[in-house]
Amino acid sequence: MAAVIWAAFHWAPLAAGFKGESSRILFFHVPMAWVSFVAFMTAGVQSARYLFGSRTPQDAQLDRSAAAAVEIGLVFATLATVTGAIWARIMWGSYWNWDPRQSGIVVVLLYYAAYEALRQAIADEEVRARLSAAYGVLGLVVSPFLYFVLPRLGFSLHPEPVINAQGKMEVEARMLTVLLASSSGFTVLFYWMHSLRCRLGAIAARRLEEEN
Amino acid sequence: MSSNWAAEAAAVFAKDWRCELRTRHAVATLALFAVTTLVVASLVLGPVGNEPARAAQIVPVLVWLILLFAAASGLPRAFVHEEESRTAIALRLAGRPSAVFAGKLAHVVTLVAALEAIVAPLAVVLFDLRVADGFAFAAALGAGGLAIAAATTLLPAIVAQGRGASTLFAVIALPVLLPALALAVAASRAALVGIAGGDELTLLLLYDGAVVVAGFLLFPAIWNP
Amino acid sequence: MTPAELEFAGLCRRFGRLRVLVDAGGAVASGGVLSVRGPNGCGKSTLLRCLAGLLSADKGTIRARIDGRELDGDERRARVGYLAPDVAFYDELSGHENLAFVARLRGIAPERGELLAERLGLPGERAWHAMSSGMRQRLRWAFALLDEPKLLLLDEPFQNLDAAGEAASRALLEERLAAGALAVVASPSHVDLPRVTGELQLGG
Repeated sequence: MAAVIWAAFHWAPLAAGFKGESSRILFFHVPMAWVSFVAFMTAGVQSARYLFGSRTPQDAQLDRSAAAAVEIGLVFATLATVTGAIWARIMWGSYWNWDPRQSGIVVVLLYYAAYEALRQAIADEEVRARLSAAYGVLGLVVSPFLYFVLPRLGFSLHPEPVINAQGKMEVEARMLTVLLASSSGFTVLFYWMHSLRCRLGAIAARRLEEEN
Repeated sequence: MSSNWAAEAAAVFAKDWRCELRTRHAVATLALFAVTTLVVASLVLGPVGNEPARAAQIVPVLVWLILLFAAASGLPRAFVHEEESRTAIALRLAGRPSAVFAGKLAHVVTLVAALEAIVAPLAVVLFDLRVADGFAFAAALGAGGLAIAAATTLLPAIVAQGRGASTLFAVIALPVLLPALALAVAASRAALVGIAGGDELTLLLLYDGAVVVAGFLLFPAIWNP
Repeated sequence: MTPAELEFAGLCRRFGRLRVLVDAGGAVASGGVLSVRGPNGCGKSTLLRCLAGLLSADKGTIRARIDGRELDGDERRARVGYLAPDVAFYDELSGHENLAFVARLRGIAPERGELLAERLGLPGERAWHAMSSGMRQRLRWAFALLDEPKLLLLDEPFQNLDAAGEAASRALLEERLAAGALAVVASPSHVDLPRVTGELQLGG
């Protein structure tokens, strides 16, 4: 990760057509948005495993895993929105433009904030796990729609996606390297944070068991 | 237990409508809200239909917002009421989950259809709308209506077992319905003006299908421990 | 007569920090009644909900067998006759209509509901919202017995019933037990139960 940060600022060339140093932000903004998607997909998969797998003591772990993934996903999605807004300010003068991609990520934030609200509203562990898992699985349907389909409709201020219609790489090799490195770095970061969070959750649960 | 699935779903559908017709609660809430808002809007906006471009900008958004809020206030009752009045216990013991869901969904779909049957013609009349492609307009209404129905059936089932069901429903329904509504507005707008809205309509139908299928898959787990 | 068996062991259920069921176990077979006793809040209702499949237990096993074949959770839920104080029916529908609805769901003849209502002395034409607590209890009995279940889970079954209602429901219970059903009944200690084959004392 450290190498990525250094490379983002010194090694990669500036993208053409971007104001000043602002394109550097891409190396963080894009991977963060991508990782938030990975996080929510992870949450969805873990939720599905909880709901449809055979019921064993491993269940609670799956539920904790899904919840942890959503928490971290929300962090990354928020960061992605903020970095995107900063960049928008630099490029076009205002933080918010109701660009479909910006709107998409906001709705995603709302969706998973609602997930947290749902968890708060249910006291019973088993019911909480089951219902939030259902909502998490529904997210597998809604999220791809919000991340990928909705932004394609209508005019967008977002630059062309990296791989455009002809399938050719439009981005300079160095930029691409840093971008990919950054993405993998952030992904690893996510999994590391996720496993930490799951372990914390497991310890808390065990503490609760012992107290009773 | 020797019942067949369709008979069970039909029984739930019939029971919901029978109860509804005796109280007329949902129908009254929906109609009152929708008609009042439409009339107020038309008083303020006047016969916007005379300026087709302006009408295309304003009216679809307005109509869909009205449909959304009417539905959100009148429909979550489907499951929330069952839980709150504890009739859900008997329903859980006696009925197969997928049949219960199908019956409830059918009930809500018919309610939404009835709502749209009131709102759409009224909007056309009050705003003096010229609809370029009536068929596409109806299709947009149908597809968007299905999204609203699916969301207001499935999501209350999730929130009904938690505290503060009504407010929680609003929080949860919004992100799920926003994409559908954006597409429905776009498709309706296209139909009003007469340009091609096929893409939006297709995507909307796909979204509908995905949500309904997800609903059937998820409901048994939501309904029973 | 198809024999039925129900056994459960090690059932635990916690609500947040509150442990309601701790290692509850018991068994009952055709024709017998497992009597569950204990003070208020000791978990009698929770136990019955777990057995009915309305609530999941944190730990433990529940096994139900009918005619030698074991039922899974969903089947058990579909085949129990459950009666509890919080079971409610649709306000706007009459007793007969409520029972007919359940009959349609279960695929049995709606006349069964009317017959049971008659035997229980339940005025079938009155809507749920207009029923007294005694009448509502009779409707709960009719609901529990509608499908002639082999597994009966009764939580405070004689509550709110007058002498006639209690006599009628006891007679029906006897009939079911004689026909090979088993019952788990939770009630206050002063209530007399027929054919008791086991007792489970809950709570400290």
